[in-house]
Parts: sequence; structure tokens; C-alpha cells
Amino acid sequence: MSLSHYLVVSAALFLIGLFGALTRRNTIGILMSIELIFNAANLNLVAFNRYLHFDALHGNVITLFVMGIAAAEAVVGLALLMAIYRNLNTIYAEDFNLLKG
Amino acid sequence: MELLSTITFLPLLGGLVILCVPKEKVGLIRGLAIFTTAATFAASLFLLGGFDPNLVGESIPKLQYVEQLNWIPSLGVHYFMGVDGLSVPIILLTTLLSFLAAIYSIGIETRVKEFFFWYLLLEVGMIGVFCAMDLFLFYLFWELTLVPMYFLIGVWGGPKKEFAAIKFFLFTLFGSVFMLLGILALYFASTPHTFNMLELMQANGSWSRSFQIVVFIAFYLGLAVKIPAFPFHTWLPLAHVEAPTPVSVILAGVLLKMGVYGLIRISYSILPAGYEWFLPYLIIIAFINIVYGALCAMAQTDMKKMVAYSSVNHMGYCLLGLAAVSTTGFNGAIFQMITHGIITGALFLLVGVLYDRAHTRDITAFGGLGAKLPVYSGIMALTCFASLGLPGLAGFVGEFMCFLGAFAYWKFWTTLSVAGILITAAFFLRMMQKVFLGPFNEKWKDLPEINLRELIAVGPLAVLTVLFGVWPQLILGLTDPTVKMISNMYEHMFQLVR
Amino acid sequence: MLEHVYWIPLIPLFTSVVILFGGKEGKDSKMPYLGIAAMAWCFLQSSVIFFQTLTGRIPLLEGKEYFLYERIPWLSWGPNLKVHLGVLIDGPAATLLFVVTLVSLLVQIYSLGYMYDDKRKKRYYAFLSFFTAAMLGLVVSSSLLILFAAWELVGVSSYLLIGFWFEKPGPAYAAKKAFITTKLGDCGFYFGLLLLFSYTGTFDLVMLKSHVAQGLLPLEAATAIGIGFLIGAIGKSAQMPLFIWLPDAMEGPTPVSALIHAATMVVAGIYLVARVYFIYTSAPLALGAVAWVGLFTAFLAATMAVTAYDIKKVLAYSTISQLGYMMLGLGVYGYTSALFHLTTHAFFKALLFLGAGSVIHSVHTNDMREMGGLIKRMPATATTMGIATLTIAGMPLLSGWWSKEAVLHAAYSHNWGMWLLGVLTAGLTSFYMCRLFFLTFIGEPRDPHKHQHAHESPATMTGPLWVLAMLSLFAGGLLHYNGLFEHLVHFEVVGHGEHAGGSHAPAFLLPGAAIFVFLLGLGFAYRLYAGSLKTAQGLRDRFEWAADTLERRYYFDDFFLWLVSLSDKLAAACFWIDSRVVDAIFVDGWALVVRAVAAASDFFDDYFVDGAVDGMGTLTQDAGWGLRKLVRGQVQEYLLYVSLAVAVFATFLISR
Repeated sequence: MSLSHYLVVSAALFLIGLFGALTRRNTIGILMSIELIFNAANLNLVAFNRYLHFDALHGNVITLFVMGIAAAEAVVGLALLMAIYRNLNTIYAEDFNLLKG
Repeated sequence: MELLSTITFLPLLGGLVILCVPKEKVGLIRGLAIFTTAATFAASLFLLGGFDPNLVGESIPKLQYVEQLNWIPSLGVHYFMGVDGLSVPIILLTTLLSFLAAIYSIGIETRVKEFFFWYLLLEVGMIGVFCAMDLFLFYLFWELTLVPMYFLIGVWGGPKKEFAAIKFFLFTLFGSVFMLLGILALYFASTPHTFNMLELMQANGSWSRSFQIVVFIAFYLGLAVKIPAFPFHTWLPLAHVEAPTPVSVILAGVLLKMGVYGLIRISYSILPAGYEWFLPYLIIIAFINIVYGALCAMAQTDMKKMVAYSSVNHMGYCLLGLAAVSTTGFNGAIFQMITHGIITGALFLLVGVLYDRAHTRDITAFGGLGAKLPVYSGIMALTCFASLGLPGLAGFVGEFMCFLGAFAYWKFWTTLSVAGILITAAFFLRMMQKVFLGPFNEKWKDLPEINLRELIAVGPLAVLTVLFGVWPQLILGLTDPTVKMISNMYEHMFQLVR
Repeated sequence: MLEHVYWIPLIPLFTSVVILFGGKEGKDSKMPYLGIAAMAWCFLQSSVIFFQTLTGRIPLLEGKEYFLYERIPWLSWGPNLKVHLGVLIDGPAATLLFVVTLVSLLVQIYSLGYMYDDKRKKRYYAFLSFFTAAMLGLVVSSSLLILFAAWELVGVSSYLLIGFWFEKPGPAYAAKKAFITTKLGDCGFYFGLLLLFSYTGTFDLVMLKSHVAQGLLPLEAATAIGIGFLIGAIGKSAQMPLFIWLPDAMEGPTPVSALIHAATMVVAGIYLVARVYFIYTSAPLALGAVAWVGLFTAFLAATMAVTAYDIKKVLAYSTISQLGYMMLGLGVYGYTSALFHLTTHAFFKALLFLGAGSVIHSVHTNDMREMGGLIKRMPATATTMGIATLTIAGMPLLSGWWSKEAVLHAAYSHNWGMWLLGVLTAGLTSFYMCRLFFLTFIGEPRDPHKHQHAHESPATMTGPLWVLAMLSLFAGGLLHYNGLFEHLVHFEVVGHGEHAGGSHAPAFLLPGAAIFVFLLGLGFAYRLYAGSLKTAQGLRDRFEWAADTLERRYYFDDFFLWLVSLSDKLAAACFWIDSRVVDAIFVDGWALVVRAVAAASDFFDDYFVDGAVDGMGTLTQDAGWGLRKLVRGQVQEYLLYVSLAVAVFATFLISR
């Protein structure tokens, strides 16, 4: 197993996440897709740490941080979503157009 | 405190005190103002007492009562005051006229407090101009006279007072701006940079002729407006007619002298080459002032305007004296300045007396007042005769010396100017005939005679008119040593005129 | 006495001040007596000086031509330039002192009667004293400038006295006219003084004389100065063409006319020329001008006197004519004769005026057509007037005869043509003076009412008349006797011997001709005016154009009135230029230009400068409006853009 394999998987994960984030109408789906993108990054970090700087821990530590932040972000995101739903009675992203010019 | 500063700033002190008095206490304010001007006059008498006319310098004026303090060291500006035989008589004239006009100002009824404040501030500026020997300080005082005058004309004047005040202000400011440029030019042309007039007098040798001419023109524009020299004189009739009587007195008696004083003190003393270049034009301007001013006076039916134009004529005599660049001419010009201040001051007071009573100054509206107002008519006749240059009265000596000086070189123009004497006589006598002689106009049968206050204001001037006419050496003795020195300062440059 | 001569002008001066400011005004004022007392003292002192100098009791200073020369500095300035107050007493000055104080004294006494009910008596006497002071100052002054000052001051006193009854329009106008006309002449005097000083640097007569003797004064300058002084003298002494003020000056009180406009002030011009005679003798052209001016004045004024009916005007013309004689005398090197004539003329002309005053006082009119036959009513006046008339007309052996003969003699030896005109004038003088006398005193009363009320004047008035009558009778002869006067008053003209262009006349010619014209004039006057005036009226109707010309004074008045109106127009034009051109265009116009510029710059500011600023704002706003279309509020769209941008940049970075 070389680094490339990990990277390919990571890229695939990223693209799947990106595709989901751009195409899902349901905001919860978008949040989940974003989680995928996070994980793609995490995988990258771990893989680089393992193959390029074996003795170091930075990559692994940052991954842990990212996971924590992702969790927190999901909480904030879902809370916002709840507030939006109460006001607009929808969770479809295309209906959220308050900033329309 | 030194004497010159005392004289200069005493009126300011009085003015500040007046500001603290409630405006309802009119009597107190008048009393304070008269007291202040009287004290200033008394102080200037001290100045005269301690002044030694024979103490003059070799090549530049030697000043007396000198005060010199560093004021703005970074610019080389000094608080530099001093007097010589040129300024002492004029300072005395200023304080005397201010005192007498203040007495006459008791007649001012509206906004008394403001009037006297501005009046006293004006006196500060006038005295300062004649004491200052630093161009910066000089300019400061010069401009200081403007603002009070603006308000004095604009608030207490006649029907067209606002227009007159603005015209006076703008006209004079127009000249002053050029003068400021001139002052700056001198400042930057001197090494080390200085505003000190005495140092500048010594520095002019290194300046080129063309530079001096340009700077001279700048100064001349400022001074000519004040003199007033043709064609910068048209503010004068208007301002005089509109100004209240005491202000007219100050205007004619002192403010006009600032111009002539400046011509001698600055233009001639600091810029001899420019002065020399200007002489041929100066003599023509003098001629125009004399004859044209007299003719304009002859065309008037308003007495005050007539007297105003006669001032143009009389200042022409001063210019004539200045064009002579000789002891005779300069002495004559200074003498003429003093006597013109006295005589024309008295004339304005007298016209004011009549106007206060009759509310008209139209020459043709009167007739035969000589029978009704003998005292008034007598003083008026004396003053008119003095003004038209009757020997034995003050007007003659200065006028004659101006002519005498100028004739030495400018024969043609001086001879033509003699016609001015005739025209002056003609319009004064015509005025006297129409107002005082002939059948009495019954319309004025209730006209009261001149009262004590007015008599106190005019009387001293009438006495001085006779005194200086009979004993002119009183003034000449003061001025002559200084003038002798001044007129020889640039002997080599004015060979042509000698 | 002589060394205190400076008191002579000073006493009347102080007296006049005291009279003016002291005492009470009114008919009963006691101040006139003060004036008379002061004048009497001056007269006493002057006559002592005069007689002592005349008889040689006081000698000339050694090697000099004067008796006294004292001075104190009055003005000094510059490099040793000085004007002195000083006295210079020579023959003419001593004579004039006597004449002036005498006539002044007599006139002041006479005025007691003439002005007895005037309400401004005090002022009158103050002015009289002031005049005398100024005149005496003029006489004694050693400096030309002081002389000029006194000259102007007598002019002013003349103004004040002519206009003494200023409530009437006539005197008010005449006073002004007199002052301004003489002032016109004074401009010439003024010019002369300036020119003189520019050459010599002094006004002192003694020093001037020595300067001129040293030849410091070039001929052209001397001529110009002489002409200048002559113009001054023409004004003051009422010569052609500035004589116009003198007939009008008769509006003043008659004693004033006698004092100022006959005996004293008007001779100031003659005196001036005499004082600076050394300048004239060095400038023949100027002296010639003096002679011709005098001659024509004498002749033309005499012709004007022929038609006048106002008694004082006749005398005024006669004065002008006689002053012309004096000028003529000076102009033809008859220095002594001119001053001699001046002296005798002062006596008989003052007498004539005072006599005329006595008549006017009595009949209250000046018009001789309303008089006639007054000799019965006023014998003393008529007798004295008769004496004066004969004197001026040239009756042999009276005062006037001697002096006029001297003048004519000088004229003859200079130029016989001048003499001829002079003699003709003498004939005219005889005619019009006798005409005056006949019209006034002889014949039938033409206005019975006035005649009825006529009365002889009081002794204060007739007294002076008698004194003057005696002087008119004898003074000439006495002074002429033994060459006394010539000894006192003479002028050595260097090299004048060759000047005498005229020939010597046969001894009988000059007196003979004079007597002939005197009788001729007398005869004609008697024929025409002693009885009925029909013949005279007929002549007048026949030569109306001539009479008109004479009555209008050869149109000189009209000329000067035209000059006055011209100068008025000039003044109006100047003022028009001043207010409409200088002020309106150069000052107010300038202000208008400035305001126009201000308006233009305001416009520029509004539409260009401020427009640019506002435009920037508008532009931004419009751009915003356009751009906001791009923002649709779709989160996923934004994300798409971000992704695409990242992709592009990533591609760019990698492919680099």
C-alpha cells in the first residue's frame, strides 16, 4: 500500500463530498457531504503523516482537531437549520435566498 | 513699562475696561473714553518733552525711546518700537485729534459702548503704525486700523454706510495685500532675513534696481490707497460723507497720513532706487491730485464731500513735497500733514456741527448764517482761510514749502499746480458766500449757536491753526534735523533732482 | 523812534485782537476809541520817522540805501535756508508808513461819524485795525515772503471789509470776486517767488539785491520773475485785465473804499514793483510790460469813468487809472515820480472817497443823476471835494500836478508816444472828475426830495476832509520843494543814461500840454454837465454803442464770467469723470468684474468640481445596481464558484 492509494481514496471521498454538497437539495444532506470532505482531508493528513514524517505526530493531532471541530460544526449547523426550519418551514437550500440581491 | 508702549496700548486698556462696563452706563463709558484719550495725549506730551530733535544718526535714522524685544525668534520678528523727528509730530497729532474727536463723540447716542471700544482700538492701531520700526509689526498695526474703521463707518454712519464701509475695507485691503507681498519680498531679499526697517535701510545697496522698482510698486499700491493718490482716491469722498463726524476727523486727520509717512519711512528710505524711478510719475500724480481734486471739490454741493475732495487736493501738496526729495520738500510735506490734520479735522467737526443741527449739508440750502451764528461762522471762516493757504495761518507754510521744494526741479508741473491754490480759494469762498453771507434764510431762524462741547473740540484746533501759522518753527524745529538727515541719506542717487 | 519801528505794525495787530475779543458789540461800543488811539500813536511814530528821514535828520546807513535793516529768524530749515521776520526801512517804506498811518487814522476818525449807527461797529474797527496792521507789515517787511504773507492778509481784510454788510447779496458777491480775482494775480506772484528762490535761495530783499548785483539772476529768470510779480501787482493794484474787482468792491462801506481801495491796499502792487525794482531794471522786457500795462490801464479806465453815473464807481475807475499812471512811471524808469504820485494820490483820492462818502451819507444814494446842487447844502464837503477834483484833474501847482508831471516827464524821455497817450488820459481825467463835481454839487437839484433832506456831515467826518484837503493843496509842492522827496526816494539805474530813447522836449511843451488838456477837460465838463444834461444825453444817445462798451467795461467782466463758468464746467466735468469713470469703471467696475468672475467660478464649482464628486457616487451606485443581479442567495451556487475557483487556481498552480 503506497501513499498514492490513500490519496486516490481521499480524492474520491472529496469529490463525492463535493458533488453531494453542490447537488443535494436537503440541507442535512449538504452537511453530511461536508463531513465527507472533512474526512477526505483527515485521510490525507494521516496518510502524509504516516509516509512523509513517520516520527512526527502533527498530522494525526490535526486530524483529531478536525474531527472535534467537525462535530462542533455539525451541532451549530443543525441548530441553525432548526432555527431556519422554524421560520421558513423548509430545509431545502434553494429556498434559503434571504441574501438575494 | 516703556513710554512708547504705554502710549500705544493705553487706549487698548481703556477699551478693555469699557468692555467690562454695563452698556447702560453711557456716561461712565464716555467719561472713560475721554479720560483714556486724554491720558494718551498727556503721555505723548511726555514723549515730546523727552524728545531731543537734534539727536539724529549719520546715515540711518537714530531712534529714541527704543524698545526691542524678541517676538517670533524663528522668523526674526521683533517687537521694535522707536521714534524720530518724522514720527513724533504725527504721534502728537494722532493723540490730540483722538482726544478732541472723543470729546465730540459725546454726541454719539447709539451703541455707545461698542463705538468707544472700536474707537480706542483704532487709536491703538494708528499710534502703533507710527511707532513700529519692524515691518511685521508695522503691517500688524496697519491692518489693525482697518477693522475698527470698518465698524465705525458701517454701524454709525449715514444712509449708505454699509456700502461705504465695505468699499473702504476692500479698497484698503486691496492695497495692503500688495504691501504684504512687498514686505515679504524685502524679508527674503535681505541676508540674514529681517523685518527690521533700519537694517533694511542699510541692506538696499545690494539689491538690483529692477527689484527695488517692483517692490516699490507693491508698497506704493498699499500706500497710495491710504494717501489717497489719484486714481486710488474714490473711496475717500464716500467714506467721509458716510462716516460719523468724529470718525471723519480721524480718517482725514490721521489715516491719510499713514500713507505719506509710509512713503518716506519705507518707500524712500528702504527702496531709494524705486523711489527715484517713480519720481516723474509722482510729480504728475501730485499735480492731478492738486488740480483735479480741487476741481472736483468745486463741483460739490455737499459740504462734507467738498471738504473730502479738498483733502485729496491737500494731500497732493504732500506728494509735491515728496517729489522734491529735498529738505525743503520733505519738511513741507510733514508740515502739510500736520496742518492738514488740524485744519481738515476742524473743518469736519464744523461741518458736523452744522449737520447735527440742520440735518443737511447742502451748500445751497443755507444763506446768511453769519448773522445768526457769529461764533460758528467766525471759526469756520478762520478754518476755511487756513485751508486755502492764507499766510499767518497754519496751511500756508507747509503748502509753500512743498511748492518751494518741488519747484527746484519740477518747474513745469509745479507751476501748473499753482492753479490749485486759486481753485481752492474759489470753492471755499463760494461755500462761505452761499452759507454764511447774503440774505438770511428764514428757514433756519431757530438754529442754535455752537455749544460748549463742540467749542471745546474745535477751539484747540483753531488756536493751533493760528499758532502754527505764526510760529511754524514749533514744528519745523522738531522735524528739520531728522529730515535733513533723511533727505541726505541717498545723496548720490538723487543728484538729478538737486 | 526808528529802531522801534516794528511796533508800528504790531500795535494795530494787538489792537485788532483786543477789539475783536474784548468789550461789547453794538452802536455804543467804546472799542473804536481804542482803535483810534492806537492808530494815532502809530501815526505819530511814523510821521516822526518820515520827517526825520525826509529832512536827513536820520542818515542812511553807511554805504547803504536804507535807514534800518533788522531781522530775526522766523523759519529756518535744511542747509541754512532761512526766512526772516524783519524790517527794512528805506525811503519808500518811510513814505508809505506815513501815508498809510495818516489815511488810516483819518478814516478811523471819519468812520465814527459814518458808521455811527451800525450794529457791528466793534467788528468794523477790529477789521480796520487788522487791515492797517497787515498793510504796515507789508510796507516794512524786509523779506519778500513776509511781504507776500502781508499781501494776502490785506487781501483778506479787504474781503472782510467789502463784505462787511454781508446780509446784502451785493457785498457778499463783491467780496468773493475781489478775493478770487486778486488771488488769480497772486498765483503769478507765487510763481515769481518760487522761481526767485530757486535761483537765489533767499527772500531777503537786501541779500537779493546784492545777489542780483552780482549777476546771479540770468536775464530770462529775471524777466520771468518780473512778469510773475507784475501779474501779482496787476491783481492787487487792479490793472488791466484784472481790474474788474475794484468797481465792484465799492459795495463796501465808503471809508473802507477810501482806505483800502484808493489810498493803501491797491498801491501794494506798485510798492511791490518798487521794492524789487532792482530785478526789473535788470530785465528790460519785464519793465516794458509794466509800462505798457500801466499806460493802457490808465487810458482805458479813464474812458470807462466818463460814462459812469455811480459816484463811487467813477472814483474807482479813476483810482484804476491813477494806479496805471504809477505803473507807467515805474515802467519808464520814473521810480521817484511813481512813488511821488502814489503819495499825493493817496491824499487826494482818500479825500475824494471820503467826500463821496459824506455825500452818500447825506443823500443815501450813489447815483449822481439824483444829486446836483449840493454845494448849498454841504459847503464843507463841496469845497474839499472841489479842491480834490482840481488836484486830480491837474490844476497847476496843486499836489497832483507835481507828481503827474513827473510821471509824464519820465514817460516823455522814455518814449514820446507813451507820453501822448498819458497826456490824453490826463485830459480825460480832468473831464470826468469835473463832470463828477458838476453833477454832484453844481446845477439844479435833480431830486428835490433828496436835496431837501441833505445835510452837512458831522465834524468827525468833515475834519478829516479838511486835513486831506490841505495835504492835497500843499503836500506836492512841499515835497517837491528843493527835491526833498527825490532825495528820499530815488533809484540809481546803472547805465540808464543810454536808455533815454526819447528826446528832450522844449521846456514849455510838457507843462503847456498838461495845462491845455486840463482846461480842455474842465471846459467840456462844464459845457456838458454844469447846466442841463440835454447835450450830454444827446451825445450819449448818438454814441450808444460806445457808451455800452464803456459801461460793460470793454467786456472784461463778461470775459471773466465766461472764464468762471468755464471753470465751473471743467469742475463738473472733473467730478463727472471722477464719479462716472474713475470710480464707476476702475473701482466699482473692477468690483463688478470680480463679481462676474466669482459667479463664473461658482458655476464651475457647481457643475464641474462638485459634479465630478457627485458623479463618482452615482457611478458606484449604478455599478452596484448592476452587480447585485449576480447575487441570487443560493448557497450552493457560491460553493460552486468557490470550487471552480479553487479548481482553476489549483490547475494553474500544478501546471506551472
